[in-house]
Amino acid sequence: MNLRYVYQELTRRKRRTVIAVIGLSIGIALLVILNALSLAYHEAARAPLKEIGADITVQRPGNVPEEMAGAVFPCSAVTIKKDEIDRVGKLPGVRGMGTALLLWVFDPNRAWTVLGIEQANPVGPSLLKNFVAEGRYLEAGKPEALVEAAFARQFGIKTGDTISVAGRSFPVVGLVDASQAAKIAVANLYLPLAEAQVIAAASQPLQSVSPFAMGDVNLLFIRADQDKIADLAATVKGLMGPKTAVATPDSFLKLLGSFFAVSDKFTFIASLIAILIAVLIAFKTMAGNVAERMREIGVLKAVGWTRRDVTLQLLTESVVQCLIAGILGLACAYAAASALGFMTVSIPIPWEMSPTPHFLPGGGAPVFKTLRLPVHIPWTLAFFAVLLSTVIGGLTGALLGRRISKIKPSEVLRHE
Amino acid sequence: MNEAILVGADLTKTFDKLTVVRKASLSVGEGEFVALVGKSGCGKTTLLSLLSGLERPTSGRVTIAGKEISGATEDELALFRRENVGFVFQSFNLIPTLTAWENAALPLFPVQMTTEERHRRAAELLEKMELGDRMEHLPATLSGGEKQRVAIARALINHPKIVFADEPTGNLDTATGDAIMAILNRLHREQGMTILMVTHDTEMAKTADRVVRMQDGEVLS
Repeated sequence: MNLRYVYQELTRRKRRTVIAVIGLSIGIALLVILNALSLAYHEAARAPLKEIGADITVQRPGNVPEEMAGAVFPCSAVTIKKDEIDRVGKLPGVRGMGTALLLWVFDPNRAWTVLGIEQANPVGPSLLKNFVAEGRYLEAGKPEALVEAAFARQFGIKTGDTISVAGRSFPVVGLVDASQAAKIAVANLYLPLAEAQVIAAASQPLQSVSPFAMGDVNLLFIRADQDKIADLAATVKGLMGPKTAVATPDSFLKLLGSFFAVSDKFTFIASLIAILIAVLIAFKTMAGNVAERMREIGVLKAVGWTRRDVTLQLLTESVVQCLIAGILGLACAYAAASALGFMTVSIPIPWEMSPTPHFLPGGGAPVFKTLRLPVHIPWTLAFFAVLLSTVIGGLTGALLGRRISKIKPSEVLRHE
Repeated sequence: MNEAILVGADLTKTFDKLTVVRKASLSVGEGEFVALVGKSGCGKTTLLSLLSGLERPTSGRVTIAGKEISGATEDELALFRRENVGFVFQSFNLIPTLTAWENAALPLFPVQMTTEERHRRAAELLEKMELGDRMEHLPATLSGGEKQRVAIARALINHPKIVFADEPTGNLDTATGDAIMAILNRLHREQGMTILMVTHDTEMAKTADRVVRMQDGEVLS
């Protein structure tokens, strides 16, 4: 193989080289960007759960409270027993767990959405501590409350006030701007989990719908091994009953509705088509090139080039051409990814995951998690694309080179 | 005639049912310039192909520089041609994307050698062909005569034992053809180059040491 000859062939047959490189690079760019988009939607779908440090949320829907008085469960989240939590915690693939207790409390003069949280557990709503707008975060072991800032403004609640909820009093130690925090498991009032459990256990209307004991909760957050999320979700559902609502990133992916989001098959088939286009372009261009150069190859053989010399020459030309196409395709894909990164995507949060009473202001309004589509091209995908392009070049060059190198010089030079 | 460097004995070549060369025998001595003449279609080029190892005979034997090549494989023939044989074709057959010096050095491309050495050898030959100022030119920018001189340089670059020329002036005007013949004659005269030339031009053939005639696939004299 002679690199000078390779260089001259590629640069002095510019039109052919440019057509081949552009054609192939489009195929490679399509392949990369389709997969990058698919990955971006998958990553976006992880965002709502990632915000609360979890990969899976578990709720058990129940009956509608018979009367809206005192502390009740939202119908989307009734009791999860302590022994069920313990059993889930022992499942393979579980890397961490968090719990919370979401209540609707109807006091005579005010309705609250109350969330009992584990203050220090990184899995669950404890990320609220990063969004304290005034005052401080809840301290361990103290019966105190955080109030959502907008709610506090609406009802004139200030840090330092004492509020009464379901007959229990709590000093307000801080205001939290929940609009900046997660969209899942949001409330007007945040209490230590143990305090919320006391309220729930003492509530007759709640007990009549779903028996509740201290240690029970109604929201379960699971952090899982990434490759085991789907299996673990199925196991949890099996363990806790078919009516259990188990949300995973896939649940949000389905809500996104995009082709890229809904179907890995679509991405796979589209990628396959892109690769096929790339292969066909490479093959057609190379085949045309080789057919044009039959006489030239006859001359090479006449002056002493062996079959191996000819094959290696054509193989190198093809590999270099396809490598350039791969790199160009990748560059185009990076440019497209940068442009697509400006797109925003709104992920609808089901009411069940952030339930507020319908009859309260804003109670039935749809909630969205809006974020920029996180399009990026992992190095593994970039490497695969360039490698694939090079392999296509190698196979095409080797196949055509081997075939064309069989020609006898006398056959093509006979007709002067 | 000096000791024979090329011997073709009882060569027959049949394509399907058509016999193009029939029981042809021909010897060329070392340093001899032989012209193979005959009418168009009489089998001259096919015989040249058989004798040069471009084509394998249906029957008969070819020996070049003492080595019988009739039974060699394609690759063995290619390597043999690279080391022993030079070709000059009627239509030059230069590679359009390579410069004059790169075309001249084409047989050396598969040989382990530095680019500088290839360039030096090609430049030396092109200087002799009075193409020193055309070395970086592409074939498309060369005249017919210049192209054929590049082709002659290519034929000589591997120091061949014999040069096969197939109608080397066939695509050239008379004056340019004469100039090319002068180069071939000079090579023969001054360097003792063995040349077997196919031509249908009897005037050109007269410049050779010996003229061999062909008719209907058979060697007459």
